[in-house]
Amino acid sequence: MDVLHNLALGFEVALTWQNLLFCAIGCTVGTLVGLLPGLGPLATISILLPLTYSIPTSGALIMLAGIYYGAQYGDSVSAITMKIPHASSIVACIDGYQLTLKGKTGLALFTAGVSSFIGGTVAIIVLSLFAPMLGEVAFLFGPADYCALMLVGFVCVSFVTTGSLLNGMAMCLIGVLLGQIGTDVNSGLQRFTMDMPFLADGVGLVSIALGCFGIAEITKNLDNKDERTPFNGKIKLMPTWPEFKRIIPSALRGSAVGSFLGILPGGGPVIAQFAAYAIDKKVSKYKHEIGQGAIEGVAGQAAADEAAARTSFIPLMSIGIPENAVMALMMAAFIIKGIQPGPNMIAGHPDLFWGLVASMWVGNVFLITLNVPLVRYWLSVFKIPYSVLFPSILFFCCIGTFSVNNNLDDIFITAVFGFIGYIFLRLDLDAAPLMLGFILGPMLEENFRRAMLLSRGSFTTFLTRPISGALLGLIAVFIVWQVAAFFLQSRKPDIVPLEPIPQTK
Amino acid sequence: MNDRNLVRGLFILAISLAFGLLSLRYPIGEFSQAGPGLFPLMVSSLLFLLGLITVVRSRFIEHVHLEFNFKHIAIILGSLCSFALISEHVNMIAGIACMVFVASFAGTASYSVIRNLKVAAGLIAVALAFQKLLGFNLPLY
Repeated sequence: MDVLHNLALGFEVALTWQNLLFCAIGCTVGTLVGLLPGLGPLATISILLPLTYSIPTSGALIMLAGIYYGAQYGDSVSAITMKIPHASSIVACIDGYQLTLKGKTGLALFTAGVSSFIGGTVAIIVLSLFAPMLGEVAFLFGPADYCALMLVGFVCVSFVTTGSLLNGMAMCLIGVLLGQIGTDVNSGLQRFTMDMPFLADGVGLVSIALGCFGIAEITKNLDNKDERTPFNGKIKLMPTWPEFKRIIPSALRGSAVGSFLGILPGGGPVIAQFAAYAIDKKVSKYKHEIGQGAIEGVAGQAAADEAAARTSFIPLMSIGIPENAVMALMMAAFIIKGIQPGPNMIAGHPDLFWGLVASMWVGNVFLITLNVPLVRYWLSVFKIPYSVLFPSILFFCCIGTFSVNNNLDDIFITAVFGFIGYIFLRLDLDAAPLMLGFILGPMLEENFRRAMLLSRGSFTTFLTRPISGALLGLIAVFIVWQVAAFFLQSRKPDIVPLEPIPQTK
Repeated sequence: MNDRNLVRGLFILAISLAFGLLSLRYPIGEFSQAGPGLFPLMVSSLLFLLGLITVVRSRFIEHVHLEFNFKHIAIILGSLCSFALISEHVNMIAGIACMVFVASFAGTASYSVIRNLKVAAGLIAVALAFQKLLGFNLPLY
């Protein structure tokens, strides 16, 4: 009963009043930001990352995790009530918004809240069982295997978040190149710094993240000139018993799908929602209603969303390789706090690991006891006009950038990346893969050099090692499939090309 | 030239060339004993390839019009720079106020001095709270 013992340790850490407070702050801020237009979890975590410098390690990580899943929940609220998904709740728009049209907003919000809770709970069980096991596997990984795993992550993230392998891979590689700026650790040579001293340590992560996600997003919203009408309908939260009974099986299915897809590289909330929704459409007892406002259409995807958001911590904490852009930022947060995520983290910092796991469940309780009943107050956030909101977001970007090094010059770098981010946006290049590439770039180079050193310069090491060989084989199959799909599509010009999956932030 | 797919390809090519040509100036080494220039050169060559594919592909798929609105991004970047400059030479309270006033030129609603003053006052209060309660080192005054 190691797991129970460990979880007890985790709750001991998570239930101290400071950590409870950080968890509550994280969930609240996350929900708020999830509701706001144009700020996804990526932007929020990067704005608040510098603000966590003065907070103790476990509290900071608990807060950042809270922001992440709080934002997921807030996003689904705005998707259900107004059909505005900012980041990941594209699927919640379908049946959730249909329920709103039928005047059952309260039921949809309650279903989303309860299903998220179920999904989160299942995911935490999976997390506490599998993360240590996967950590054991990670010890078998050599440098070549790490390289291959990162490449698989690049390919999957590129495809899932942008819908286009070509654009996504290009952004990953641009990210890797940006990560090369600074001093080379092996030779001490300064690369791509153009003799500018402030680039010797590399480009700041916060500057890139805020530029590409904060500044560029604000400008996009200003360009669109969206005026949002606030939601004014009535909300009756409590469902009837037969309605409640319909939530459970669908939520459990969603949790299972979400937990599994969350672990895979490139996985995460978006793909899990689509999969859960598709499964409900196939197997649910009420499948004829799905699409026209069925409870199952909300429950399954909400549970999958929340479950995948949590299990995507598994690869980060047990292997040390983040599998999507949000996890890459979390990894940066771990490293800033002096902790290297990876197989040694669970053994080396058990209080931190299990504390984080337990706090996720505590955060779930916060979401369901605080945010679900208070949802009508949350919705008043939409009454804030954007002309008040965006100077405030800019302010947080400025303070966030400044407080990394207490240096005002960093704000100019953020401005430069704001401009680059805007170009990316206009060229339809998603910046999320860039973030992953930027954070993994130095690791990729180091492992690549090490693998080549061990193999005395022969590339066959990538193919002969079973793990890396299998992973590279997967990539090859995937690329061949993509190329074939492109040629088949261009032969039949009368078929409308598939809409790319909306951006994930 | 006004095709988004083509411009994207050219943009990727430009980035790959910038990094690739610069990395040629660093020692390349061999695969078994990689120099600092080897890895960036490999990555930028791969990026160059992706850029080429994007350019070629843009000839075969439907053209998408590229929109580029310089006004808003210029105002936003201007407000960031004014914040940094004024915080450096005067103090951060003036910087925050200036940022709010510059940024709201980009707003959709009509320009309102009173609203700007309220927003600026609110943000300065938040900044003071950060400084006093969370121990941030902000040069507010």
